[in-house]
Amino acid sequence: MQALAQALIDAKKQVGFCRICFHLSAEPVCSICSDRNRDKAIICVVADSRDVIALEKTREYHGAYHVLGGVISPMDGVGPDLLNIQPLIRRASQTEVQETILAISPSIEGETTTLYIAQLLKPFVKVTQIAFGLPMGGDLEYADEVTLARALEGRRELL
Amino acid sequence: MYLKHIYLRNFRNYLEQEVKFEAQKTIIVGNNAQGKSNLLEAVELLATLKSHRTSRDRDFVKEGAIAGQIEATVERTYGSTDLGLILRKQGRRTARLNCENLRRQMDFLGHLNAVQFSSLDLDLVRGSPENRRNWLDSLLVQLEPVYAYILQQYDRVLRQRNALLRKLKKAEETPSQDTFTQLALWDAQLAANGSRVTRRRARGLERLIPIAQGWHARISGEKEVLEINYTPNVNWDRDDPETVQNAFLAQIRDRQIPERHQGTSLVGPHRDEIELTINGTPARFYGSQGQQRTLVLALKLAELELIEEVIREPPLLLLDDVLAELDPNRQNQLLEAIQDRFQTLITTTHIHAFDAQWLNASQVLSVMEGSISIF
Repeated sequence: MQALAQALIDAKKQVGFCRICFHLSAEPVCSICSDRNRDKAIICVVADSRDVIALEKTREYHGAYHVLGGVISPMDGVGPDLLNIQPLIRRASQTEVQETILAISPSIEGETTTLYIAQLLKPFVKVTQIAFGLPMGGDLEYADEVTLARALEGRRELL
Repeated sequence: MYLKHIYLRNFRNYLEQEVKFEAQKTIIVGNNAQGKSNLLEAVELLATLKSHRTSRDRDFVKEGAIAGQIEATVERTYGSTDLGLILRKQGRRTARLNCENLRRQMDFLGHLNAVQFSSLDLDLVRGSPENRRNWLDSLLVQLEPVYAYILQQYDRVLRQRNALLRKLKKAEETPSQDTFTQLALWDAQLAANGSRVTRRRARGLERLIPIAQGWHARISGEKEVLEINYTPNVNWDRDDPETVQNAFLAQIRDRQIPERHQGTSLVGPHRDEIELTINGTPARFYGSQGQQRTLVLALKLAELELIEEVIREPPLLLLDDVLAELDPNRQNQLLEAIQDRFQTLITTTHIHAFDAQWLNASQVLSVMEGSISIF
């Protein structure tokens, strides 16, 4: 019990945001940004720190991240100025950055945020978006219309 | 399809009630405010996830309880399905399909189909355009459950865009260029999502209109001609996504100044109208209550027929206190149309409104103060 309480207190005291990517971090620069083996030429843009954790679990991505801290939502009074968008543009306009991958959930607000950021980043850097579609092991005939439509939209040419 | 049983707990005025449906027709007898309509409302919720009486979940929950529950078993040609719905005083509802909680409410729809016909349906003719939009939307949701998702997305865009327009209106200084960049993105979202709504409404009506006209001609003895006209707020002529979206964007540009002035979205399917005319005159102004009833009856029979055509199984028919309001001629038309094909739940205050032949073929239940028993 004591240990748990102490852990919570420590977490509250120590955890802040990485000053580069705004991921949760106990240090001024998080372990991903300070890792020399990560490819800093690619930045994956996500809405939330939880998304970083989800992507890290895949062990498939070896670039850097940028956490926006939310999505644009006028209803909740969240405009682009409340998100970490300006720091992202500064980062992305550095010459060593070659690609930004937008990996924001495809909700109405997420899509709008993706479009907004894409517009701003385009002059500086190559902008891509992760694909949305069918889950692995999923059968086409069981997929719903919305998912199928999205998967069709994101189709690509085979080599 | 056949609704085998329904179980209500802390729903409206029911504490705990199980009803087994044992005949193709069930007549539910009771005085006013005993719970007849509440029972039909529960079935309507299972079919559409909506009620025509309220849009707030807390209204469904019995006084003193924190959550209400509806459970039901539906038999379809492909097998039987258990549906469950928990409605809370506070917080989101839970939808369950075969005892499994659903992540998306859309997956709940399409297992039970029902056409509701109540005295409130006269508002379809007399009421505001919103009544007609809601009517069409809940029909479309039953024909293609994905439409529920499309509507929800559109509603979300609309609320976000309105929030931004409101902010723009209130702003004291001239808005920045960035604000207009954001507004343009919401314009595009409104066009993309709004065009899905309007195209599906048009397609649904296209199938419904000839069926409704046929019924209307038969009931009125070929004396009246019904016209149903979809007049979308954004006019478009070619049914392809790009044309429709461009029509939206053009109209948004045209209405820019009034939208900014009023701080709300003036363009989109939330302002659509479905015009009903009889012999060239708007039905609202035309003729007697009887003629308006004929129109509503024709629409309801058309719904029934269209759902059956699309689903390939007859939907349920819920007649909430309307049989008594129809004259004998229209009553017969209705009874003849449903025959034994559609499982029908009928509420009434007076059992003697029915002839003996009907009573013999029906299960008759009585409702008193939220308790249902065999009549």
